[in-house]
Amino acid sequence: MEFRKGQKIEVFQKSKDEAWEPYMDEFIGVHGMITDPDTTINDPDALIEVSLQGLGTYRLPQDCLRLIK
Amino acid sequence: MDKPLCPVHSTILYLSDQLDSGKIKEPRIRRISEQILRLVEEISNGHAGKDHLHAVEELVEEYFQNNSILEKSVSDNKDSEIGIYLKSVLTRERETFQSHLETGNCASMDCIRLTPSPCQMACPAGIDIPTYLSLIGEGKDAEAIEVIRRDNPLPWVCGLVCTRPCEMMCVRARIDTPVSIKFLKAFAAERAMSLGHYLNPPQKPLNGKKVCIIGAGPAGLSASYYLALMGYQVRVIESLPVAGGMLMVGIPRYRLPREVIDREVAMIEALGVEFCYNTRFGRDVTLDSLKKEGFEAFFLAIGAHKSHKLGVKGEDFYSGKISVDSMASGKDVMVSTYHEEDKRVDSDLIGAGTGVIDSVEFLKRVALGNRRVPGKRVVIIGGGNVAIDAARTSLRLGAESVTLAYRRTRSEMPADIEEVEQAEEEGVNFSFLTIPTAIEGDGKKVTGLNCLRAELIKKENGDRLYPVPVDGSDYTIEADAIISAIGQFVDIAGMEVFTGIKWTRRGTIEVRHTCMETSEHGVFAAGDAVTGPATVIEAIGGGKRAAEAIDRYFNHIPQPRIPKVPVRYRRENPITMSASTKMVLKRPKMDMLNIDRRRITFQQAELGYTENMVRDEARRCLRCDICRRCGKCIDVCRDKMGIGALQFGYMDFDHPVDTDFRKTSETCITCGACAANCPNEAIVIEEKNGERLLKLCGTILNRQKLLYCESCNAVLGSAKYLDYVQHKTANVAKVHQQKRRLCGNCLRKQSFPI
Repeated sequence: MEFRKGQKIEVFQKSKDEAWEPYMDEFIGVHGMITDPDTTINDPDALIEVSLQGLGTYRLPQDCLRLIK
Repeated sequence: MDKPLCPVHSTILYLSDQLDSGKIKEPRIRRISEQILRLVEEISNGHAGKDHLHAVEELVEEYFQNNSILEKSVSDNKDSEIGIYLKSVLTRERETFQSHLETGNCASMDCIRLTPSPCQMACPAGIDIPTYLSLIGEGKDAEAIEVIRRDNPLPWVCGLVCTRPCEMMCVRARIDTPVSIKFLKAFAAERAMSLGHYLNPPQKPLNGKKVCIIGAGPAGLSASYYLALMGYQVRVIESLPVAGGMLMVGIPRYRLPREVIDREVAMIEALGVEFCYNTRFGRDVTLDSLKKEGFEAFFLAIGAHKSHKLGVKGEDFYSGKISVDSMASGKDVMVSTYHEEDKRVDSDLIGAGTGVIDSVEFLKRVALGNRRVPGKRVVIIGGGNVAIDAARTSLRLGAESVTLAYRRTRSEMPADIEEVEQAEEEGVNFSFLTIPTAIEGDGKKVTGLNCLRAELIKKENGDRLYPVPVDGSDYTIEADAIISAIGQFVDIAGMEVFTGIKWTRRGTIEVRHTCMETSEHGVFAAGDAVTGPATVIEAIGGGKRAAEAIDRYFNHIPQPRIPKVPVRYRRENPITMSASTKMVLKRPKMDMLNIDRRRITFQQAELGYTENMVRDEARRCLRCDICRRCGKCIDVCRDKMGIGALQFGYMDFDHPVDTDFRKTSETCITCGACAANCPNEAIVIEEKNGERLLKLCGTILNRQKLLYCESCNAVLGSAKYLDYVQHKTANVAKVHQQKRRLCGNCLRKQSFPI
């Protein structure tokens, strides 16, 4: 699994996925934490739940996220 | 002279005051005022769209549409006063409102963006966590439940099964461990329910509008609760014989007792929500029949109750799902990811064997009372939470051996670590790097699962490890029951009548997540049907957002453009305690039912905290709703005062360092510079009983004895503070060698006697 619960991430780019909504552009550059990864099937295509600092919790496509040290 | 307030901000203050003080008596005027307040708040915090101002103006006109108001004297009618006030503000300050909309900024900086605590922001339902933790810390459990239910109608359920994103973002975790938010909620709910203090809030009178909710899962229950409170007549259609959806038929009873769901559903039912059980939409009731009954809005909360198939040879036969017709037509195409040749159907297998079941069906069957053991040797295929639930349930039903077969390794398992550990404790075996290839049987029932060993290989340009079968590694796991748990999807049967809704490529309903509105007018959706299999709290949050959106839909109010910021309901006073206590209190360990009983019964596995544990745990909260961690206090203390007594390493999200509140007292001089610069009164200086106290959200960081002027008794400060002043001024003023300690005024009088 690429993302695990509790890992810190950054929304580093817009996703090309249809689940990306216009208001999510504001998320780019924001750091957060994986709160619920794909707990069912470990699918790289699944939307995963992330909590973004000061912005709330959302399900985002994985291609817009990267881990931060 | 006070700084003039921003008109947008002052409108919020004015309307809030009018609503909170109960000055608005007429229900219609109250509704209009609440709607205007909601829109103006969105204009204030930058969440409004271009239609918002127009909508506010139209609502203001509604104040004057009732002749009875106009007939009354304007001067003695409070309701018309509000309309007149708002109309004048909008006329006079229209440009300022427009500027807020266009730029998202407030020139006067009065309209600061609301900044709820990180835990509240993280909660998909936006529960005001610091407020209810404070109330629990004070023993006010019923009040805490009242606060929680403003955003989540199922606090007891969530207290037991929430995935707790709040705890993941808890700032206390940067010091030691997060506050046990989840279980404190369960404790408060249980206590309030037990004492009869778990009450529904007052409902608005019925407004004559009807909403139909399809699905009584967490999203449907949440929407029905908030709609019923708003005065809507709500009917919930449920195909199962019970309410709760996946809460009831997906989560095993050892994690969530049925009574918990029943009691919270009963509270919703008490609001007049009508539940129609054993009623399948499209079969027992139709869209047309519901529309004829007067339902004008529909909320789809149908969940994701269909299991993905394994796609291996023998699956359909031993699940008894293969039919002669489908075999003949070749329609039984499987979706194997492992062996393409499995797509062909072996005609020898026509029949109806037993032994293969999908996890959703299995857990549902058990939840609804069928407690027969699926087999002596059970194999579960999958690595997620549902697979773990199925494995632990099989054990409790009496299976002699339960093996969980997963394609990757333990570290790639998507299930929660705690769940995996508990399953292991109970005796579930794990077979990692195992790829099922076929189901073996004797023609009547399953005898084993054929598997291949896998190895994990990285694909080019990627970090993800993929399981690849190792040639010649075939082996068989003996089994007489096989449960597949490799994911669920939305069952769209019956949904075809909603011709306007769009479906995503993931097979979920497409909505605008800010309001859960589908592309069909008057149809809303939330829960797993929208997200795919997800969490209970997301479904609850989605249901609440949908209820708000349905209310807007009926009242012709534009839907929000971006997600609403959670609401802080009040600022509960922080609990006072010493820095030492704050640091020493540790998160309590959850006691579990003994392992023998866990293996054989469905009794709740987690035994809960004692009352003392709960009250102490609530006091560990750092009250991040008050201290926003702006760091001004630290900067002032270090850079302006040159002391550096405040070392709060938890303030930085990305790179937290050690924090020990006890260390502040080592160097702090209680000068108060930090308190004077705190924008939110989180850090304060108090003088009490001859001492000066420095408190951060109730935690006493330092306490120093005060010294007084020996002539006039004015407060001089602490000895450390006086030393600091003396040291700083040594080079600019001659130090008087005084025997007596005097304040500045007395010193001047002494130096320059009149």
